[in-house]
Amino acid sequence: MFYIHQSSCITAQQAFVDPTTETITESVENKLYALDTNYDSIPPNILRRLGKAVKMGIATGHALISKHPVDGIVIGTANGGLEDCIKFLNQIIEFDEGRLTPTNFVQSTTNAIAGQLGIMSANKGYNITHVHRGLAFENALIDIEMLLQENPSNTYLIGGVDEISEYNYTIEDLAGAYKKEIISNTHLLQSTTAGSIAGEGAAMFIVNNNKAGARAAVKGIKTIHSSDPNDLAVQLAAFLQEHLQNESVDLFISGKNGDIRLDKYYELSASLLPSTTPVVYYKHLTGEFFTASAVALWLACNVLEADLFNRLLSIPPSSKANNILLYNTSKGNQHSFMVISKV
Amino acid sequence: MSRIVVTGIGIISAIGDSAESNRLALQKGLCGVTSIELFSTRYASLLPFGEIKLSNEILKSQLKVTAKSVTRTSLLAQHAFEQAIKDSHLSTEEITSYDTAFINGNTVGGMCLTDELYQDANRKSTASPFVTSYDLGSVTLYLQELYNIHGICNTINTACSSSANAIMYGARLIKQGKAKRAIVGGVDSLAKFTINGFNALHILSGEKCKPFDQNRSGLNLGEGAAFLILEREEDSINKKIYASLSGYANTNDAYHASSLSDTGEGPYEAMAEALRIANLQASDISFINAHGTGTENNDLVESVAMKRLFQSPPPFSSSKSNTGHTLGAAGAIEAIYSILSLQHQELYPSLNFQTPIDETGFAPLQSFQKSTVKHVMSNSFGFAGNCSSLIFSAI
Repeated sequence: MFYIHQSSCITAQQAFVDPTTETITESVENKLYALDTNYDSIPPNILRRLGKAVKMGIATGHALISKHPVDGIVIGTANGGLEDCIKFLNQIIEFDEGRLTPTNFVQSTTNAIAGQLGIMSANKGYNITHVHRGLAFENALIDIEMLLQENPSNTYLIGGVDEISEYNYTIEDLAGAYKKEIISNTHLLQSTTAGSIAGEGAAMFIVNNNKAGARAAVKGIKTIHSSDPNDLAVQLAAFLQEHLQNESVDLFISGKNGDIRLDKYYELSASLLPSTTPVVYYKHLTGEFFTASAVALWLACNVLEADLFNRLLSIPPSSKANNILLYNTSKGNQHSFMVISKV
Repeated sequence: MSRIVVTGIGIISAIGDSAESNRLALQKGLCGVTSIELFSTRYASLLPFGEIKLSNEILKSQLKVTAKSVTRTSLLAQHAFEQAIKDSHLSTEEITSYDTAFINGNTVGGMCLTDELYQDANRKSTASPFVTSYDLGSVTLYLQELYNIHGICNTINTACSSSANAIMYGARLIKQGKAKRAIVGGVDSLAKFTINGFNALHILSGEKCKPFDQNRSGLNLGEGAAFLILEREEDSINKKIYASLSGYANTNDAYHASSLSDTGEGPYEAMAEALRIANLQASDISFINAHGTGTENNDLVESVAMKRLFQSPPPFSSSKSNTGHTLGAAGAIEAIYSILSLQHQELYPSLNFQTPIDETGFAPLQSFQKSTVKHVMSNSFGFAGNCSSLIFSAI
């Protein structure tokens, strides 16, 4: 178990920045682009050269570590700066491997976000980038669990970041990840077809072992690889027993993404909880991306603290959440559970 | 606390497709850096590369792979992975058990298929068979599905130190009881993407690289894969044990996206922290497998950091003069070379060295020698300032 003290987040929704915002940002052609504004923490000469994933990662990360010094930086990103990647790739092909500028190449490496954050904060401590597709952020959390056992008095930055680029949108679309028909995100969860809509975002957290003043406790994190629902059921039951014993799950944050092929996993996980447990969804607000669970964790922290997001997330007004279960699957073969609790 | 030991190794590089063939090549000082023969790039005959001279067709037939979607990166990984699990006699039950972790370091993924990726990413035609095989996680997930691995699986990219961090992550999972054993290592294949990227940074040499030479002119890219099986010593009583992983560290140089600071803060801290974890003094280290890429920046900074830590360093060499720089695979390949040094009590020479660097005057080991080898340090430093050091110790 460890504690979350500070957090920051960028998604498509202004309502995540200001919960009084009445409107929901709608998707355009099955894409929910993150807000492209709050970059005050990045010096303009650096900002100019950055792609969106790196911008979002630095904006959320630097906003935290510039105020709260950390002993290390742990980032999860499936793809990092893909727009830079395809810019460089296109140069290679279109200029037939001629004279190329290295900027896009250097920005395209997935570890550029953690590296840039290290440079900007002169942080010489532990620095790593987990890139394991739909469990990139979850592996970052497992790393943090271990780091805080090994170095109990340390404080770390952890975050998840991914961007929509033309590159990954096209590749994922060819692979069947997105809906063939154009829909609005406001109807995503009622969809009965295959595929989801694309999203992007970043969420970052300052974590350590200090209970005092903490916003939330991360009681447990577990990942599994299997497409067999039985494995999921057995592992989830064991996970809840291990981390909650006789306490109940008061709220279930589900990563349901409108892809009918994945509904069975989300329905199964919900069915293991009492039928009265409120279920909350968020991917109609964020879109689907490989590190969306970082945003789910950010939402969970906010829900534990106050009822600001109850209307946006359709949380019943009477519910009092002490323990929140988060479940997410990427493509039905990577699954993760987290339990987040009130301090 | 029980020691973390290595009970199996598997490797493929430009100098051999097994641990034994790599060892023989290292003993003889063979260099696998040549012209490219197996894929088309305008640099094929202009620059030398550490290419593995086995085509994808041959690799597929050796591995009995028929699926079209499997990339060269995945094939190289599978080759080394299968050697390692066989060497450690891991049973199917052990491999599929929830307490077996699989951690892979990788920087290129399926981007070795640069032309196919260009077609797919720009929607130039219908989907190629590779649309789900480009990302870095795809290599790990291919082997995870092939071997039905249920435990913690992870893919790490810290550039050239990726597989050193994969080894470290696996060891920590075991120490913390999150896994009983871990299959750890990394892979990368040659790709137009990285060739053009490093070329744009002007750090590829037109000749065979000369690590730690005053007149060095850059690095040679290579390809390869290596995996190790890590277990607790107490769980390995009846097994062959190669060495223990006694120290490891991950630090950041926090200086520049693609070069190291003059004083080598990151490299120094990585080596010093690995010694602290291993509870060793600098003078205990018998040999250093240096990062030694052959670039102007790396070799000077690494020498300066070694001088700060060791004053006069123990024998050291760079096996990148044999294999080229295999990026995400380098940390694991060089971990296996370090283990071979410990297992056989011998030290392998660095190639192409003539003149020491002015600032330090250090010369790498230039001839094969039998020697008492107790502790070997292996360095891996990457873009974005990601520095790691591992220490392997004789059992």
